[in-house]
Amino acid sequence: MNIKPIVGALLSATVLGFSAPAFADTELKVYISSQHQPQVWRKVLDQFEAANPGTKVAIETGGNTSEAQAQYLNTIMSAKDSSLDVLILDVIRPAQFAAAGWTSPFTGKDMSVYLPAYAEANTVDGKVVALPAFADSMFLYYRKDLLEKHGVQPPKTWDELKAAVKKINGAENNPDLQGLSFQGKAIEGAVCTFLLPYWSQGKNLVDNGKLTFDKDAAVKSLKLWKSFVDEGVSKKNIAEVATDDTRKEFQAGNVVFAVNWSYAWAQSQSKDSAVAGKVGVTRLPAVTGGESATCLGGWEWGVSAYSKNQDAAKKLVEYLSSKDASKYMAANGSLLPTYASLYQDADVLKAAPWFADAKQVVETAKPRPVTPRYNEVSEVIRTTVNAVLAGVTTPEDGAAQIEARLRRILR
Amino acid sequence: MTTQTIATSDRIEKAQPGWVKLLDMSDRALAVLLLTPAAVLLALIIVYPVLRLGYTSFFSLSLTSGLPAEFVGFENYQLMFTDPVFWETTWNTVLITLITVPGALIVGMALALLANLPFGVQWPVRLSLLIPWALPLSFAGLIFAWFFHSEYGVVNDVLARFGIQGVIWFNSPNLAFAAICLTIIWKTSSFMALIILAGLQTIPRSLYEAADVDGAGRIRQFLEITLPLLKPAIVVALIFRTITALQTFDIPYMMTGGGPGTSTSTLAMYIHQNTVSFLDLGYGSALAVVMFALSMCVTAVYLRIIRTKE
Repeated sequence: MNIKPIVGALLSATVLGFSAPAFADTELKVYISSQHQPQVWRKVLDQFEAANPGTKVAIETGGNTSEAQAQYLNTIMSAKDSSLDVLILDVIRPAQFAAAGWTSPFTGKDMSVYLPAYAEANTVDGKVVALPAFADSMFLYYRKDLLEKHGVQPPKTWDELKAAVKKINGAENNPDLQGLSFQGKAIEGAVCTFLLPYWSQGKNLVDNGKLTFDKDAAVKSLKLWKSFVDEGVSKKNIAEVATDDTRKEFQAGNVVFAVNWSYAWAQSQSKDSAVAGKVGVTRLPAVTGGESATCLGGWEWGVSAYSKNQDAAKKLVEYLSSKDASKYMAANGSLLPTYASLYQDADVLKAAPWFADAKQVVETAKPRPVTPRYNEVSEVIRTTVNAVLAGVTTPEDGAAQIEARLRRILR
Repeated sequence: MTTQTIATSDRIEKAQPGWVKLLDMSDRALAVLLLTPAAVLLALIIVYPVLRLGYTSFFSLSLTSGLPAEFVGFENYQLMFTDPVFWETTWNTVLITLITVPGALIVGMALALLANLPFGVQWPVRLSLLIPWALPLSFAGLIFAWFFHSEYGVVNDVLARFGIQGVIWFNSPNLAFAAICLTIIWKTSSFMALIILAGLQTIPRSLYEAADVDGAGRIRQFLEITLPLLKPAIVVALIFRTITALQTFDIPYMMTGGGPGTSTSTLAMYIHQNTVSFLDLGYGSALAVVMFALSMCVTAVYLRIIRTKE
C-alpha cells in the first residue's frame, strides 16, 4: 500500500487548515499616544473587532505630549514605515501630514455630520486628510466649594480672576494653595497660553496664510501672564509646569483656578481625586474690554499612506469617528463629542453635566495657525512664552522675537 | 613530469602549513584582504552617510514644503551665519565642552586614584565607578531633572535642611546651565576614571619603591611618575570625552529641553529640532556638517599633541 498520497493529503489539509484563517485575518496597528486614555479606546476597538470578525486591532502607545508624539511619527513616516496603519493626530498636524503626503485621503466623505470646525481642520486643499477623533478646547476649571465659601462668582475677566484669587487666598491663608495654574513649560500648551489673551483682544495671528501680528496685543498677553507670577497669583516655577502638572495639582486640591482641556474632568471626578464634586468648569476669562477666546483642540484619526491594509484601516477610522464611538468616549473618557447632537445626549450629560454648555465654547474656539510649518511656529511661540515666564526675556523683547521669527517662517 | 614533482616536494620541504601561504601574497595584499570587511562596513555606516549629509546640505529639502529637493548652493550655510539660535546653541556647546571635559578629568582622576588604593574588597569600588557609566544618558538626565526640581527635588531639600533657601534651577539660564554641567560631570567622570584606572595599573610598583628609597614625597611621586606615565591614557580619554561633549544632547534635552527659552540648547539639539521636528533636512544637514567639522578639528588638535609628545 502506498501511503504517500495519504500523507500528502493530510499535510496539505493541515497547512490549509492553519493558513486559511491567517490569510483572512487582517492585523491593524493603531497609534494612540499614552496621554489619550488608550485603555478606554481599547473598549471601542473591542466593539469594532466584535462587529468585524477577521480583523484584529492592536494599540501602540507612545509619546505623552503632542511634541513627543509628532517627533515619533515624523521619524516613522519619513522612513516610509508600513508598521502603523492608523494614527492619532493633534488638530494642528493635518496640514503638515497632507503636505508630506503621509495620510491617505478619504474621497467622497460627507464632513457636514461633524462640528464645522473639525470638518474644516481635516480638509486641506479640498481633500479630507483625516477624520475627527474628539473635540476639545481650553476651559477654566475652578473650585466651586471655595468660590461659594468666599462668595465669589466665576470670573468673566482675567482681572476679576486676580481679584478673586487675592480674596480667597487672603482668607484661606494656605501657602500651598495656588491661585491659578496654567502651562508655562515650553510645550504645545504654551502656544495656547500665549494666544488666549492675544485673541481675546480681537486680534488674529494669521489671516489667509499671511502673518497679521499685532505687537501691542502680544506684549499685553505676555505681560498678563507674567503679572500672575509676579503678583503671586501663580507659582514662581510656572515655567516648569506642563498640561498634566496643572491637572495633577488641581486634582490634589492645591489650585483654585486652572486653565485646562476637557480631559481633566474625568480624572478630577475619580475616586482618588481630592476635589471630586467640588469642580466647576466655565469658559475662559477675557481681557478687560475684550471677548472670551479659547484655543481649538481635539485629535484626529488618519490612515497612514504606507499602510498595507488601506481598506480595513479606513473602515476602522470610519468606525472610530462614528457617532457611537464619539458618544462612548464622551461618556467614558470625558472627551468632547464631534457631533453637535451629542452635547444634549442624556447619557453623555449624566457623566459630564457641563458638556451642555461646552458646545458653544467649542464652536467659537479659534484654530491655531494652519500651515505645514506649524512645528516651527509652535516652537517660536512656546520657547518665548517660557523665557518670559522664567524672567529671562521681557514681554517687549519676547513679542519682538516672536514677530521677527514668525516673519521668517510665514514669508 | 619529474621536474614538476621535484619542484612540489621542494616547496613542501620548506614546511609551510596552508595558512602561512597567505603571507606569500605579500604583507600589503594580506593587509588589504583582512581590512576589507571593516572598510566596507565603515564605508556603509560612516563614509556614505557623511558624504550624503554634505550633499544634502547644498539642497533646499523640507518635507513640510511638499516641494522636491532643489539645489541651492551655500544658501543653507549663509542662513546659518545669520541665525541667532545657531550661534547661541554653538556657544552653549563650546561652553559645555570647556566646563565638563576638564571637570570630568579632575573628578575622574580623583576617583581613579581612590579606586587604585589597596582596598581589601575591590568589587564595590569598581561597581560604584561603573554604575554612572553604564546608566543610559537619558535616564541620568531624567533622574537629575527630578533631583533639581524646585518643589520635589532632593537638591533643594538638602539645601533647606542646611537652612539655605532653595532656588528654581530651571528658571534661570545660569542655574539651569550649572545643573546640566554638574550632571554631565557626574555622568562622564566615571568613564574618565575607568580609562585612567587602567593606565594606573600599568605603572610598575617598583618605580614608586625606587622613588621612596630616593626620598621623594607623595606629591613628587604623583607629578614625576604617575602623571607622565598616565599621559597616553589621559589623552585617549580626553579625545573621546571631548567629542561626546561636542555632541551633548540627551542630558540637557531631558533636563530642560533647552529652556528657559533656548538658553541651554545645544548644537546637537538644534540639529535634532530642525531635522526631526521641523523636517527641514537641508538646513539640518548643513548644521550637522558644521558639527562634524568641529569634531574633526578637535580630534586633529589632540592627534597633533600625541604626535609631538612621541
